[in-house]
Amino acid sequence: MNYPVWEPPMLGGGIIIGIIAILHIFVSHFAVGGGLFLPLTERKAYRENNPALLDYVKSHSKFFVLLVLVFGAVSGVGIWWSIGLVNPEATATLIHVFVWGWAIEWVFFLVEIAAAFIYYYGWDRLDRQTHLLVGWIYFGAAWASLFIINGILAFMLTPGQWLETRSFWSAFLNPSMLPSCVVRTAVSVALAGVYGLVTASTIRDVALRIDVVRYAAKWVLVGTLAIPPAGLWYISTLPPLAREISMGAAPAVTIFAGLSIFFSLLVVTFTYFGPYQHPRYFNLTFAFVIAVLALSTTGVTEWVREAVRKPYIIYDYMYANTLRLADVPRVRQQGVLNSALWVRHREVDPERRALAGEDVFRVQCASCHTVDGYNSIRFAVKGWSPAMIEYQLLHLNELKGFMPPFVGTDAERRALAEWLLTLNPQPVRLEPAHVGEKAEAQDSAPGGTTKP
Amino acid sequence: MNPVIPAPVPIPLPAPAWLVQLLLVLTSVLHFLPMNLLVGGTVILTISSYLGRRDPRHHDLARRAVRAMPPVVAFTITLGVAPLLFLQLLYGQFFYTSSVLMAWSWLAVVLLLVLGYYGIYWFNLQQEELGPRAFWVMLLTSLFFLHIMKIFTQNMSLLERPQEFYSRFLAGAVGTYLGPSDLLTYARLTHFFVASVAVAGLGLAILSRAWLEEAPELATWARRYGTRWFMAGTGVQFLVGLGFLFSLPAELRSPFLGADRLATGILVLAILLAVLAMLAAPRSLGASAVAIVGTISLMTVVRHLVRIARLQPYFDPRSLPVEGQWTVFVIFVLLLVAGLATVGWMLYHFFRPAGSHV
Repeated sequence: MNYPVWEPPMLGGGIIIGIIAILHIFVSHFAVGGGLFLPLTERKAYRENNPALLDYVKSHSKFFVLLVLVFGAVSGVGIWWSIGLVNPEATATLIHVFVWGWAIEWVFFLVEIAAAFIYYYGWDRLDRQTHLLVGWIYFGAAWASLFIINGILAFMLTPGQWLETRSFWSAFLNPSMLPSCVVRTAVSVALAGVYGLVTASTIRDVALRIDVVRYAAKWVLVGTLAIPPAGLWYISTLPPLAREISMGAAPAVTIFAGLSIFFSLLVVTFTYFGPYQHPRYFNLTFAFVIAVLALSTTGVTEWVREAVRKPYIIYDYMYANTLRLADVPRVRQQGVLNSALWVRHREVDPERRALAGEDVFRVQCASCHTVDGYNSIRFAVKGWSPAMIEYQLLHLNELKGFMPPFVGTDAERRALAEWLLTLNPQPVRLEPAHVGEKAEAQDSAPGGTTKP
Repeated sequence: MNPVIPAPVPIPLPAPAWLVQLLLVLTSVLHFLPMNLLVGGTVILTISSYLGRRDPRHHDLARRAVRAMPPVVAFTITLGVAPLLFLQLLYGQFFYTSSVLMAWSWLAVVLLLVLGYYGIYWFNLQQEELGPRAFWVMLLTSLFFLHIMKIFTQNMSLLERPQEFYSRFLAGAVGTYLGPSDLLTYARLTHFFVASVAVAGLGLAILSRAWLEEAPELATWARRYGTRWFMAGTGVQFLVGLGFLFSLPAELRSPFLGADRLATGILVLAILLAVLAMLAAPRSLGASAVAIVGTISLMTVVRHLVRIARLQPYFDPRSLPVEGQWTVFVIFVLLLVAGLATVGWMLYHFFRPAGSHV
């Protein structure tokens, strides 16, 4: 309400954040797990006095740098860019609560980037011990970076004591911070294995390929097997409504939660029976299949994590449409058109209510709904009668637990209802006695002036 | 019409406004240094990769100089995070509004950055295989970074003009506005561009010292060549900077022309340091670099003073309530010191002569 609303056609802002975020998470967790994979595998090569394995680690570090330092770093910035565009109010709130946390994360980011370059360019310049130490410094900084960002992300779903104390530490040490961190660390280890499988599958020396493929498969299995107990711990810290949404209350979310488990099981099964049991027959195509499954798991899981936070963007503090709970009484009294800054109509004109209704939609609904694309409002209200729309708007949060209540005056609610009615032809009864009316209704509906 | 400006977040600032402003300016300086090397560097590399088709010296220069570029890109990005963080903390209501108005353009920065970054790596890893096409790769790469510079200049200019926000909104330009394109904005962009070429020239001259053992002739020539870019860029900058200063509205310009002693002093000192940097360049690149870092630092202060002055009618950050989060701030400072020490330790080992490794 405080900011103009950007409405990317068809996609909506949420999908833009989603695309960038899922790709980033898939790479950034590798940035952490891969940071552990590199020094441990390098140490293994030294201990076994295995120069061929060391050559593999060197080539893997090039792949790592090209993916993590470029795409990982830029897409991380990209998430920040996109949330600032789609949800500036929430972004500004997070920055006010966590600015020093972010500043600390920035320090780790700085160390991480420097260490990655020195590790990559330092193969022939540093002695073994120092090179390994640089690898460990990289991992420490990368994990610390995850630790901080995870705390901020977990805060959005479980702000805990912060709602009363407003202190940084209550916000950061929130109920789901620790279990979420354990889950993400386990995911990082598993993804290090997945990426390890991709590079290992291209090793020419058959004996070495078999060794490294099996070794990388173990990373996938160990990481993946640690996820379920940590995941259960994480789920136990979620607000009851979030659990309900993922376990049946919202079918789409439940299906995605199920897909998350399904894809994870596929990753484990494919890895166990493929590269772990039969590393000899493992190839790049197979590695990509596992990588795509892992990306799918990341995608649906992160989508579920975002979805269960509905109707909030910061739980119990700010609704998904950036209305603060504390502001609800004021906006009810003043009206949404008088509270929002970026509207064209401050009053509802009784003769042209739909115009104001569109403004109400934009400031109150457009953060989740597009008109015709993703989560289309036109489709959502198709076939709804005026009475149905009125009833839905009056009981939005009760009928759909994942939606915020409508907040505004009666006139604004009616204006929104009228605009919603203009989106589709009027619904008609199909009884023979009303066939004539059907034609009439269809003729009059697209003009957008039908009164409820 | 009164400008429409979003209300600041109803959460107190976690530190006094002066401290956030100080950090904003300091970290901006840290960002501008590699950013100048990056934008100017890709321009110089483009020219060398073109001339390198016939002149082996330019070919060799591009091949060697581009090796330094991946870390330059990485640190431009990394060091850019902090000033943007402090900018959002202090001036979020202006920054988010201007960004949303030019959302597509602003979001394109991310894509251009990925493409430009991979362009640098492509050139770096495959210059020989690319042959004459290497020029086109570097040309596109430099255009990507130049365009990012343009978008940044436009957004940073728009956020200082809240009086334009609502009319852009009413014009239906939420997200599709490309940003201001008036004389002042382009003067500002030219000012940044010329600075980046000059600084990158000096950077090239300094970098060439690392080639002295392997390719002494090239190193000597590259030093002269880089210094020429620096001298020419800084020389042109006196004109461009003057043009920029006089394209500012009178009320913003006058503090730097005597009305405010401190502001005038800072600008004059910045210019004097630039003159010193030019005088020192043929003899001591180190002294020249120190002087030019001084100029960049002071010009960043000037830039911030202009921003404060432009937003003064609408907003004073000192009016915001403050509730210091001092414990976590101290942790940040301690970690920053430890982090810089760690980076210093790693760099020390990296640049130590090979024979001294155990």
